[in-house]
Amino acid sequence: MLQQVNVNIDGANIRATRGTTVLDAAIEYGICIPHLCHVPYLSSISACRLCIVEHVVNGRSNVTASCTLNVEEGMVILTNTDKIRRLRRNLAELLVAQAPNSRAIQDIALRCGVKEVRYPFRNDDCVLCGRCVQMCTEVWKARAIGFVGRGKERHVDYPFGIRPDFCKQCGSCVQLCPMTIPPCDGPMKPGEEYLCRKCESQLMLADETPDHCVWCKLGESFGCGRYVGIKS
Amino acid sequence: MPSRTLEQILEGRRSQPNQLIEVLQDVQASHGYISEEAMQAVSQGLGVPIMEVYRVASFYTAFRLKPSGKNVLTMCMGTACHVRGARLLMDQATGQLGVKPREVTPDGLFSVDHVNCLGACALGPIVTENGTYHHHMTPSKLRKLIDTLSRQKAED
Repeated sequence: MLQQVNVNIDGANIRATRGTTVLDAAIEYGICIPHLCHVPYLSSISACRLCIVEHVVNGRSNVTASCTLNVEEGMVILTNTDKIRRLRRNLAELLVAQAPNSRAIQDIALRCGVKEVRYPFRNDDCVLCGRCVQMCTEVWKARAIGFVGRGKERHVDYPFGIRPDFCKQCGSCVQLCPMTIPPCDGPMKPGEEYLCRKCESQLMLADETPDHCVWCKLGESFGCGRYVGIKS
Repeated sequence: MPSRTLEQILEGRRSQPNQLIEVLQDVQASHGYISEEAMQAVSQGLGVPIMEVYRVASFYTAFRLKPSGKNVLTMCMGTACHVRGARLLMDQATGQLGVKPREVTPDGLFSVDHVNCLGACALGPIVTENGTYHHHMTPSKLRKLIDTLSRQKAED
């Protein structure tokens, strides 16, 4: 039998199934927590950190990623405080500076309220969100790609950099990659990166009700949980 | 010559994925580095996907994926050594040998490595040469050390 627990997210009392994450519960209820690396049918590795929330325990709040935080009885979660918005904006700014060449990343940056990018654009074409790695590992059990190296040398690669036989070139990793969605004006040239901000009109509703999921279309490109459907 | 073969290292630890790091450490200790073949064998022996073995081996700086030179010079880059000029020692070694950190000279005699702390901060800057600690290093002492080592090898 599925056990239900009561969670308080942004003042709303939500009954969620034990074992689900705070992010899933919030999206299901219609509270918008921006996220990038989370895919509803894969387990989360909390790589992008965009889904950070404040978890209030005994009057003190911990900032933590909600995609790996399981719901517990009597939990108090705040998803949209000034502090969270500031931190999230900064994270989104770093992501868009790392890889501006993607509609998905541009969208998420806009959704998190990035107005300018204070960091030099790197144009690395990868934000290490790990969606491809999780797909290969969990759905296909192939483990043909994975993270290699450490720190700033960390990247996604085949074992020894050579495509192994057990990679069937299914392309699921590519389908999930946020970098496969080019910006509306086409790929940016190195040295000419910019913050797109074209979809800013999408944000009018979201600005009025910042803590509600308004199906803002900004999540469509990277498969926001609301569009893909909730893990049952 | 490897002191223990892969078979001997894997003996009694087969199908135990939790032994991965220990096995890789033993491979490194007996072979000097972890080759692609060794990783394949470890993957087969322990039942760990090859990607996982490669990920772990490439993550830890303690594991070498390429053979090291005959003489391994390890510079301590810890805080205490850094403030006493470890940077200069690294420049001296890389400049004199013409290699980058964690690379081997073309003749295979030297490899230069850096670590974050060797635990002898009071004696810094520290350079180890094949496990022997040299304390209070200066660029000129390091130059003499490298010269001596290359002469020794030439005589052998």
